[in-house]
Amino acid sequence: MIKHQLALVKREIWEHRSIYVTPMALASIVTLGVLAMLMFASGYAAELDLAIFGASNIAGEPERKAALTGFFLGTSWVFLIALAILTVFYCLDSLYAERKDKSILFWRSLPVTDAETVIAKLITALVVIPVAAIIGIIATHLVNLIVTSIWVSMKGGDAGLLIWGSVPLLDNWFAAFIVVLASGIWMSPFIGWFLFVSSYTKRSPLLMAFMPLILIALLEKIILRTHIFAEYVLGRGDGMPLFRAMDVEKFFDEQQWRVTENATSLLVHLDVVKFLTSPAMWAGIIVCGLLSTAAIYVRRYHGES
Amino acid sequence: MTSLVSAQGVSKQFGSIHAVDNVSFEIEKGKILGLIGPNGAGKTTLLKALLGLTDCEGRLSVLGLDPFKQRKELMQNICFIADVAVLPRWIRVTQLLDYVEAIHPNFSRRRAEELLTQTKVRANAKVRELSKGMVTQLHLSIIMSIDAKLLVLDEPTLGLDIIFRKEFYANLLNDYFDEERTILITTHQVEEVENLLTDIMFIDEGKILLSSPMEALADTYIEVLTAGDNASKARGLGPIAENEMFGKSIMLFEGVSREHLEGLGEIRTPAIADLFVAKIKGARQ
Repeated sequence: MIKHQLALVKREIWEHRSIYVTPMALASIVTLGVLAMLMFASGYAAELDLAIFGASNIAGEPERKAALTGFFLGTSWVFLIALAILTVFYCLDSLYAERKDKSILFWRSLPVTDAETVIAKLITALVVIPVAAIIGIIATHLVNLIVTSIWVSMKGGDAGLLIWGSVPLLDNWFAAFIVVLASGIWMSPFIGWFLFVSSYTKRSPLLMAFMPLILIALLEKIILRTHIFAEYVLGRGDGMPLFRAMDVEKFFDEQQWRVTENATSLLVHLDVVKFLTSPAMWAGIIVCGLLSTAAIYVRRYHGES
Repeated sequence: MTSLVSAQGVSKQFGSIHAVDNVSFEIEKGKILGLIGPNGAGKTTLLKALLGLTDCEGRLSVLGLDPFKQRKELMQNICFIADVAVLPRWIRVTQLLDYVEAIHPNFSRRRAEELLTQTKVRANAKVRELSKGMVTQLHLSIIMSIDAKLLVLDEPTLGLDIIFRKEFYANLLNDYFDEERTILITTHQVEEVENLLTDIMFIDEGKILLSSPMEALADTYIEVLTAGDNASKARGLGPIAENEMFGKSIMLFEGVSREHLEGLGEIRTPAIADLFVAKIKGARQ
């Protein structure tokens, strides 16, 4: 069973190269952006010397941590958005492409059940793609830290103090790991829906996935004059119960631009217990399970059609 | 003899269309059975039922298993080639071997690699880079490296040139088939396989029109090339088909003894294609 799943997941990675190409491309783009920024900054030698002097001597450690954490948070969000788009396209293609190119006949000629196949696709969407994104995030951070360290050192700054000593690396990465995995779990009803659409649609899976959702929301608005579907289903992404109430403006202290030690810890802003005990999260998992079961059923009974 | 496949009253309906209509048959171990039928006859539906790819009514047992309910177990002992287009185009040859090796307990990678060295298929090539013939060679190399009891071939040489078609069947007979294995072939190209077959089954409109060992066909079906008064006498014996050629009549008889037909003209064993046409036309009249 585990051997089969590993082989099936490996097959998904071979088929959908975007799973690892996208994080690599993003990492390259972010690094190029940072390099461009550093080159641009190098043009202001006097101001730069002053900034490095100030950062080394005047500003406190929390400020440096906050600034770098802010930068890392931004890059992580880029990966999170890419992860969401990648997951949508992956799920919609996963059971559709094999019927389109008729390779389903070959896959089904081997001793693998339809359930094993769909579960492997679910694992890929919920675990493999997020893990690839995390690796991308960590690699991006490391590469950019190294690049920035070299640049700061070349400008006479103390990279150990200014860069490495200022960044709560493990803290940030662990928080990113939790957010990325939790996002997949929280949005799993959509993953199940996309797999289901992919299992039966004969054309335009993207359209077939989104059109019913938009139509339902519109019809509800027109007929019932309510927006429950739009709020609870389409707006699900906004309501993930993982984050503590956070006032962004107070992330930095407004009065003195000084921050408390805890302000730079992203982990502090996450409430894993609240997430794991959220009925909405568990309801989402159940919906995902039901829709994935429907996808298995469709593949089993109408596989080649 | 042991029955590998047993079908009793098997039916499959799509709306009002009876794709397979109450068919019963047995396939024994060590046979090469040709399932012959025109387009839409129900061949592929019947094969899908045998492979557990579709459910059906009636009692169907393949290797003692219910194909639809026990498809995973069944596929450990069955190989299946639908047609040359089904290998995924994005996959590399080595990836394909890795995958089948991980999934199939009866697959010998070493054997597959040996077979592939006899072809022009490169290990790092993607399927999309291979010609149709090479894709078939690749697929056949994989199939022949699986120690399976039943091989099902659905139009396996469709779209291939004559050289690859000949090679395909030669490899199948020389390197794969033995008395422990059974092969079920469906094809339109009857002439190509008739010399390989041990048994034959004709199917049309979901019904089996003929099911017989090849060696018994010569006793049951006789073709007479005749003319003039002899043709009238022969016609009186009730041929199932009659054609005119070069001023002579070619009549096909079923179940008429050779002694009755001797003296009426040149007696010969009918070609499978002629027998097929006669049976199909007869059933449709």
